[in-house]
Amino acid sequence: MSENITAEELAELMKKAAGITVAPEELRERSDDSFDTFGIDSLGLLGIVGELEKRYGTPMPPDSEKSKSPRQFLDAVNSALPAGA
Amino acid sequence: MSEPHTRRAVVTGIGVVAPNGTSTETFWKATREGISVLDRVTREGCEHLPLRVAGEIRDFDPPSAVEERYLVQTDRFTHFAMAAADLAIDEAGLNRSDTDASPFSVGVVTAAGSGGGEFGQRELQQLWDKGSRYVGPYQSIAWFYAASTGQISIRRGFKGPCGVVAADEAGGLDALAHAARAVRRGTDVLVAGATEAPLAPYSMVCQLGYEELSTEEVPECAYRPFTSAACGFVPAEGGAMLVVEAETSARERGASARATLAGHAATFTGASRWRQSREGLAQAIRGALEEAACAPEEIDVVFADALGVPEADRAEALAIADALGAHGRRVPVTAPKTAIGRGYCAAPVLDVAAAVLAMEHGVIPPTPNVHDVCHDLDLVTTRARATELRTALVLSRGLMGSNSALVLRRGATEASQ
Repeated sequence: MSENITAEELAELMKKAAGITVAPEELRERSDDSFDTFGIDSLGLLGIVGELEKRYGTPMPPDSEKSKSPRQFLDAVNSALPAGA
Repeated sequence: MSEPHTRRAVVTGIGVVAPNGTSTETFWKATREGISVLDRVTREGCEHLPLRVAGEIRDFDPPSAVEERYLVQTDRFTHFAMAAADLAIDEAGLNRSDTDASPFSVGVVTAAGSGGGEFGQRELQQLWDKGSRYVGPYQSIAWFYAASTGQISIRRGFKGPCGVVAADEAGGLDALAHAARAVRRGTDVLVAGATEAPLAPYSMVCQLGYEELSTEEVPECAYRPFTSAACGFVPAEGGAMLVVEAETSARERGASARATLAGHAATFTGASRWRQSREGLAQAIRGALEEAACAPEEIDVVFADALGVPEADRAEALAIADALGAHGRRVPVTAPKTAIGRGYCAAPVLDVAAAVLAMEHGVIPPTPNVHDVCHDLDLVTTRARATELRTALVLSRGLMGSNSALVLRRGATEASQ
C-alpha cells in the first residue's frame, strides 16, 4: 500500500482542520482549482500541514502551506515522504 | 460632537441571542413579562467555581446557526454574533443581493470585553498537554476581541468600514455610537453591537477577581440592584446586533426606521471607583442629551446600568438626578437585565434592543427580582408599565471605569428644537 497522501486524506483533513467538506472525487476533478474556491484560507492550509507533520512524524517541505491548489499541495507534501513504499 | 447631523443614523433591524430568548421576538416577550432566567451555572468544568449563578443560553444550537467552518474556526462569542447579525439583517430586509451589489456601503462594528475564552482555553490546553504542534492556527484569530467583526464581514462579503471596541461594559454603547459616526461620514449600513461568551472555565476564573461579582447561590437573590440586598452582579452570555443605517438609505429602500441614535457621550472615572462614577455618568448623560438636542424632561424612560453594588447603585441614582434634575425623580427607570444578567459589552446593547422594542410597543419592561427599592428612583418593578415612549436613555458603566449614555428616539423623528 502506498504511503502517499491521497485526495481522500486531504479531504478528511480539510474537514478536520478547517471545517470544509469536499468529496474526494470533487477534489480530484478540481485539483487545479485554487484552495480559495473550496473555502480554504492560508490558516486552514497551515493547520492541514501541521496535522500531516504530526501524523507522518516528518516535516513537510517549506512553503507547502502556500500551495495554490490541491494538486500543487499533494505534490509538495508527497515529495517529503518516501516514494511509493 | 459638533459634526452636522446631515445623515442621521437609525435602527432598521434588531437581532438578539440572549439567555431569555434566541430570537428578537422571544427575547422581547420574556423581557416584557419580566421572566427571570437566572439559574445555577451548569457549564462543564465550571461546577466547582465560586460563581454559582449566571445567565446561560441553553437553547442555542451552533450547527444550525453557523456553517461548519465557523464551528471549527471561531469561538462561541462569534457564533452568537453571526446568529444575531443574521437575525438583524433579515429583520432589516437587507438581501444578500443588495449587499453584494454595494459591498463597500456595509461595515461592521462590534464591542468585546471577554473574547473567545473557550476556544483559547482549548488550544492552550493542547499547548501545555501535548506541545506547540497541537495548537491549531485558528487560535491566532478566534480568541481575539476583533474576531466577530472580521468573521461577520468575511462571511457576508461586507467591505465597508469595520471596527472593534475592546472595552468594558460601556463599550457596547460606544460601538453603536461608532456606527452612527460611520453613517454620518458616508457609510449607508453598519451591522453593530456586541455578543459575549464568558461562561467557560477559563473566562469564569478571570472574573473571580472582580469584587463586584455576585457569589450568591440562590438565583432570585443573586442580582438585585437598587435594593438593600444588592450583592453584586451576575454575568451572562449572548448579546445583540443591530442594523444601524442612514435614515436616507432606509427611506430609499422602504425599510422602517425603528429608532434614531440621537446622542451619545462617554467618560472615564477609573476602575471600580463607583463613587466617582456619579460625576462621570452624569457628564455622559449631559453630553448625550446635548448631542441629541434633548431636554431632560423629554426622557420618557431610563434603562439603568444597575450594577447591583450598593455604592455603584447610589452613584447611578444620584447621577440620574444630577443630570436630569427634578425630572430624574419622576422618570420611570428600569433594569430588565436583572432577568438575564450582565453580558459585559453585550449588556447595554441588549438594553438598546429592549428600549427600541419598548418604544414601539409603548411598554416599559420591568426589573425582575427587585423589590423594595432603597433609592429615590421610580424603578419599574414586578410588572411592565404601559405608557407612550418617544425618547429613551440607556446607561452603561464598566468595571474598568467607562461610563456611557445613549439617547434613542422612536422612529425617524426629527430632534425637537
